[in-house]
Amino acid sequence: MIRLRQLSKCFGTRWALRDLDLTVSRGEIFGLLGHNGAGKSTAIGMMLGQVWPTEGEALVCGYDVSVERQRALLKVGAIFETPVFYDYLSGWKNLQILSHYTAPTPPERIKKIIEWVGLTGREHDKVSKYSHGMRTRLALAQALLPDPELLILDEPSDGLDPEGIHEMRLTIQRLQKELGLTILLSSHLLNEVEQLCTRIAVLNQGKKVFEGTLADAKQTKQWVRLKVADFAKATASLQSERFITDTRNASLVALADGVKTDALVRHLVAMDMPVYEIAQEEETLESFYLNLMQDSRNSAKASTAGH
Amino acid sequence: MFFLQLRSELAKLFGKKRTYIGFGAFLLSQNLMLLAFRYSNWQNGTARLLEGNGYVATEFISTLTVAVLMLIPQILLLMPLYVMLVGGDLVAKEAEDGTLRMILSRPISRVRLLLTKWLTGVIFSAILVTALGAMALFFARCWFEWKGMFVFIPLPGGQTIFNAMSAGEGLKYYALTHVLLAVNACTMLSLAFMFSCFNMKPAAATILALSFLFLSVVMEGMPFFEDWKEFAITHHFRSWVLVFAKPMPIAQIAESLCVLAGVNATAFVIGATHFHMRDIKS
Repeated sequence: MIRLRQLSKCFGTRWALRDLDLTVSRGEIFGLLGHNGAGKSTAIGMMLGQVWPTEGEALVCGYDVSVERQRALLKVGAIFETPVFYDYLSGWKNLQILSHYTAPTPPERIKKIIEWVGLTGREHDKVSKYSHGMRTRLALAQALLPDPELLILDEPSDGLDPEGIHEMRLTIQRLQKELGLTILLSSHLLNEVEQLCTRIAVLNQGKKVFEGTLADAKQTKQWVRLKVADFAKATASLQSERFITDTRNASLVALADGVKTDALVRHLVAMDMPVYEIAQEEETLESFYLNLMQDSRNSAKASTAGH
Repeated sequence: MFFLQLRSELAKLFGKKRTYIGFGAFLLSQNLMLLAFRYSNWQNGTARLLEGNGYVATEFISTLTVAVLMLIPQILLLMPLYVMLVGGDLVAKEAEDGTLRMILSRPISRVRLLLTKWLTGVIFSAILVTALGAMALFFARCWFEWKGMFVFIPLPGGQTIFNAMSAGEGLKYYALTHVLLAVNACTMLSLAFMFSCFNMKPAAATILALSFLFLSVVMEGMPFFEDWKEFAITHHFRSWVLVFAKPMPIAQIAESLCVLAGVNATAFVIGATHFHMRDIKS
């Protein structure tokens, strides 16, 4: 549904996005993660033909957005952070107006969508009287009006209370199950992404630093919690013998390929270093994400120092 | 589809309260001016002028005469302001509010979107000018009798438009002058619309367009630019007055109309080109 090839965007002298390659297949919920300013919204802007790429191409539903924008977006719905509408008009009128930018939409379709998002009874009220949650539902309704196959959600839970976030999560799951939509979800709510997405990509300072399934994310390294008298001395020895590849927070070690925990214990005991505790560490998306960001910062520092 | 989109744009424009500020301002100013005409010594001065030129004054101090007189200050001051206020809002306000991003996530081309917006502005300009003329006529009729029309308008450069005609003929010219005024209003809106297509606040677009107009007025009034006055947009805005000249300078009016049509097209093309190239971000 989405294929980005070497997509880059430069604003003045600042690269907002650099060489982004990304593929989102039909029917999946794909998570786009990254801190504020990582390039998520720029990437989404380019997918929707709102931001012109400096280099590369964005294919949506098989069409290059820069060349055939109308065809590419015919079956696409989008929601942006902080939904905005024409506050002085009713929810119904807003939907009617927005639907006219895609295709003539019969009132029955608008009514059906309003029912689906749970705004029945309030559709003729002015949007200025809507709560934030109701505006989000209206945003969802406008995105669903063109009967989309692809839904692009740019931080849809932004500004919602915990109940609203929960409701949004359930709605996204319903959208995929009941309507079979492909969903691209941009968010910095890791918990939300963890519960919804099948695959993710992580952006940091305009560059993709990870793409894969959630399982891949959690299994990039096999982390083991190790408690010994002298962590630094023990890990130095383990690293020199190539039992471990990395350490973290003076309590975790990453096992090298094919190495099991018993080998670690045997080696440390042989070196006369008592082992008080050793256990597999379950990687969460949060810890994965934070470490990924830390690694990116470290490598950026290292490359700066190298220059 | 195009008409549905145009209807949507009209619904958005006429759904906003601020769209009606211009209508309200015209209504208020016209009634204030009518009070002044009715109760000041303006009538005596006009009667003297008419009688000095051999006309029966009582036959020409009428609804149509007062309605034309009321047009002048409104066209000079109020019309540019309110038309440009709407023109400056057309694109920039949507960009500022964030609704433009929502529209542009839909399969509509930027040029088509701009065309519907610009046409909405043109319709607004035409309605505003029609309302201005109709209200002037209606309120003037409430205070003055329906008789012949007398026009006396001094122009820059020493020229004066002086004419007296029957009520029927006067009404015909009054209607024709509003067609030209609608073209003027549309040109003013196009200028503001052009600036609105750039990445700026709606107020900035309005102020820039007003500044452009002000600059044109100032340059036109300077003796240094006497030979260049045809390049001043405000020079061509004056063609509505020429409708009342005797004989009517049709060629000059047509020339001004062509220039204004060119200004409209140029403003649209510049605005659309920049809008097409720019990135729409939150």
